[in-house]
Amino acid sequence: MTDPHAPALVCQNVSVTYGPVTALEAVSTAFDAGLIHAVVGQNGAGKTTFARVASGLVRPSGGHVAINGHVMRGGNVSAARAAGVELVHQSFALPPSFTVAEAMEFGATGAGRFFTRSSLFARWRPHLESLDISVDLGARIRDLPVETQQGIEIARALVTQAKVLILDEPTAVLSPSGIEKLFERVRRLKAQGVTVLLILHKIREVLAIADTVTVLRAGRLVEGPLMTTDVDGERLSRLIIGDASRGLAAVDAQALTGAGTVEHGPTDAKPVTAAPVLKLSSITTFGDPEGPALQDVDFEVRPGEIVGIAGVEGNGQRTLVRLIADFAKASRGGVYLGGHDINTQPLAQRRSKGLRIIPFERNTEGLSLSSSLWENWTARALLEKPLLRLVNPALLRSECDAALKAWGVRYDNVAQKAGALSGGNAQKVILSREIDRDAKLIIAAQPTRGLDIGATAFVWDALRQARDRGCGIILISSDLDELFDISDRVNVMLAGRIVGTFTAPYDMNAVGAAMIGAS
Amino acid sequence: MIARVTHILRSLIFVIFALILCSLVFQIAGYSASTVLTNVADGAFLRPGALAQSLRWALPLFITAVGVGVSFRAGYFNIGAQGQFYVGSICAAFVAEWLSGAPAFVVIPACLFAGMAGGAFWALWPGYLRIRSGTDEVITTLMGNFMAGLLLVYVTSGPLKDPSGSGQQASSRPLEAAYRISTSSGLSVTIVAIAVAVGLAMWLLVNRTTFGMLASLAGRNPVMVRWQGALLWKLGITSFLLSGALAGLAGTIEFLGPNGRIASGFLPAHGFTAILIALVANFSVAGTAITALFFGGLASAALYLPVMAGLPSAAIDVINASIALFITARSKLLDKVLRIGGHSS
Ligand SMILES: Nc1ncnc2c1ncn2[C@@H]1O[C@H](COP(=O)(O)OP(=O)(O)OP(=O)(O)O)[C@@H](O)[C@H]1O
Ligand SMILES: [Mg+2]
Repeated sequence: MTDPHAPALVCQNVSVTYGPVTALEAVSTAFDAGLIHAVVGQNGAGKTTFARVASGLVRPSGGHVAINGHVMRGGNVSAARAAGVELVHQSFALPPSFTVAEAMEFGATGAGRFFTRSSLFARWRPHLESLDISVDLGARIRDLPVETQQGIEIARALVTQAKVLILDEPTAVLSPSGIEKLFERVRRLKAQGVTVLLILHKIREVLAIADTVTVLRAGRLVEGPLMTTDVDGERLSRLIIGDASRGLAAVDAQALTGAGTVEHGPTDAKPVTAAPVLKLSSITTFGDPEGPALQDVDFEVRPGEIVGIAGVEGNGQRTLVRLIADFAKASRGGVYLGGHDINTQPLAQRRSKGLRIIPFERNTEGLSLSSSLWENWTARALLEKPLLRLVNPALLRSECDAALKAWGVRYDNVAQKAGALSGGNAQKVILSREIDRDAKLIIAAQPTRGLDIGATAFVWDALRQARDRGCGIILISSDLDELFDISDRVNVMLAGRIVGTFTAPYDMNAVGAAMIGAS
Repeated sequence: MIARVTHILRSLIFVIFALILCSLVFQIAGYSASTVLTNVADGAFLRPGALAQSLRWALPLFITAVGVGVSFRAGYFNIGAQGQFYVGSICAAFVAEWLSGAPAFVVIPACLFAGMAGGAFWALWPGYLRIRSGTDEVITTLMGNFMAGLLLVYVTSGPLKDPSGSGQQASSRPLEAAYRISTSSGLSVTIVAIAVAVGLAMWLLVNRTTFGMLASLAGRNPVMVRWQGALLWKLGITSFLLSGALAGLAGTIEFLGPNGRIASGFLPAHGFTAILIALVANFSVAGTAITALFFGGLASAALYLPVMAGLPSAAIDVINASIALFITARSKLLDKVLRIGGHSS
């Protein structure tokens, strides 16, 4: 029997380099067994890299990892698994063409054994049910919403008797109630003696769930593990973003650290009277593969205002975006952009009228991960040109370089594949592409999901500045603090309808009640 | 830049592996591998006049392969180059027949145009089916190859039949000398000029136009490009049409140039060699030019081996096949073994 107080996971001088990039530099730390540990840090700080080293996916270029006292040969997943370490990825790694049952079987055994469909179902249904995941075991992974995919990833990681479970930004894809459920699950695991490492961005979540917190910055260990009882939100945000935290507006700091409930709206809001930049008049859509159809939605966005959309995920937010982007079709009602009826116009034309979209799915809808940064970045500008227009790649590359620098993206060079960026940096590439001078209506779907607090504040500022330039902005978020902090008003969606409109000062309880239809 | 050099190096290593594998096969089959390989090198490049011969084969292959690269880049696996090559040559042959007697400066451009249109049409319907209803283009274009092959048999033994031809292989009537763009040697200023023009135009299109950039983005992630407002069908159909037209053009060049006629089942491996070239070159236009020259050399060596060295020309098939094997097996494992620098994937 190992000593119960011995650290479950020890890092000794761990360094990782990717070509010229140093992702981790001489990180030494130890995580006690049986606790919930949070790992935090800015985008690109090296959190994912750290998780990959611990789970044997990446071999450190220096130093080593020890699990329960055993020094691991780096870069060996099966050895790490055998020692009891499991990792749930930030961007999911389940094979998209597998069914749920196949993915479970494959993930659990990793080996090819003979099986029948029904035996697989019989084996995995109880396991999934015990974790409260309701899903059709015959459904293909790629057809499932991200929330369910994550549930399956966690279920997969928990099949073996994991002693150390690492979850890479598990809350980023979840709704508030989903997060509560996840935390419940994590606490149960702790009670069973599992050591859990959570990579998180939201300080509020850190303080709510973790026993200790460890801070990384630019590949180095800043501090930790610290007991969460010994730190407060303000100190933690200072540790994460360093001196930059002084530049945060007090209201943003409050929304970011979760110090109290945000009720204020924008402080300098003046009533907007200009003609709406977007108007949906009694829109009903056909059924949509990604969510409920919209029912009789009346909705307006005026220039110079940020309209928040609150709601439990899957209540028509995606359909709304898809309608405006010409993916979902209206069966009744009108869609007007800048006063023009755009119902029959293709997306390219809508975009040329100033529509910009920061889509829900960053890695598929937002970026081509296997293409270079500059190609991803120039896609929007290219689409405004005729197909046979000559372009100058060198010029585009330098424009891209300047734009990405201005947005503070951490990258090596613009010819890098977008897939090599950390999650938050990838999102900044999208933002820098979609928030430009000619934007008139910006749809921001979960724009700060997975972003560190510095970047989140940056995005809020960018959206506010766009608003002040006269853009209309639709902000869809599952983070009520975010919505309350920067929206001029907040609409609540439920089952494809808009069921309530709120203005500052916001009443958290009333909005929450509207979201679940309890008003 | 470094990435590109690395890539070319890596492809070269695959070719070298393939040659090692071939040597093994030759040895087992009872030939001396070194004799075979030196004779292949002789036949392809070293003996006097070999380079011209290799170029004769390389130019049409290059044109078809560039087209294949365009559709592959856009994410469509048009493997119907062979059929498009045939249909192009058939259309050109018909036009030459109809316009027989007209001046050459009318007939030749008309043939080139007809050949490209024919090849494009043979790529259009699989492209349409793919984009309209998701029909797998690998299957339709492959089917198209068989249909075009049979069409060629019909045309050369029916409407365009050469009555004086021997019974061996049905073929069309020989083209009047005035309409030929090269002698049977297959190399002429016109053909070189066409190939250079195609190369430059395609290099520009692929690397320097909106279309080229969007198509390659769409090939990697169509969803993202769709969210940017691109009409995928436009990019897709254009890519299909271009690749078909270029294969058709190559067919027309073979008809107007070295062959001077079309015969049933002529150059049956052209399209597949072109696909192999495009894959080895990783769809880059410049890379395709170099690779085409290499495969052109192999094609001319195939003719040289049995005559000059008494070796079976099947040796070349073995070489082609093993290169194909290694290129398609560019597996993770091999990549890992060959990884240079350590941070490409
Ligand atoms: N495969 C890779 N190739 C090259 N560079 C990489 C690769 N993976 C990560 N990096 C770089 O290493 C650094 C650390 O990345 P990592 O993904 O660990 O950050 P992170 O802390 O998880 O960030 P985020 O909060 O955005 O997810 C970043 O600068 C990133 O660009
Ligand atoms: Mg990460």
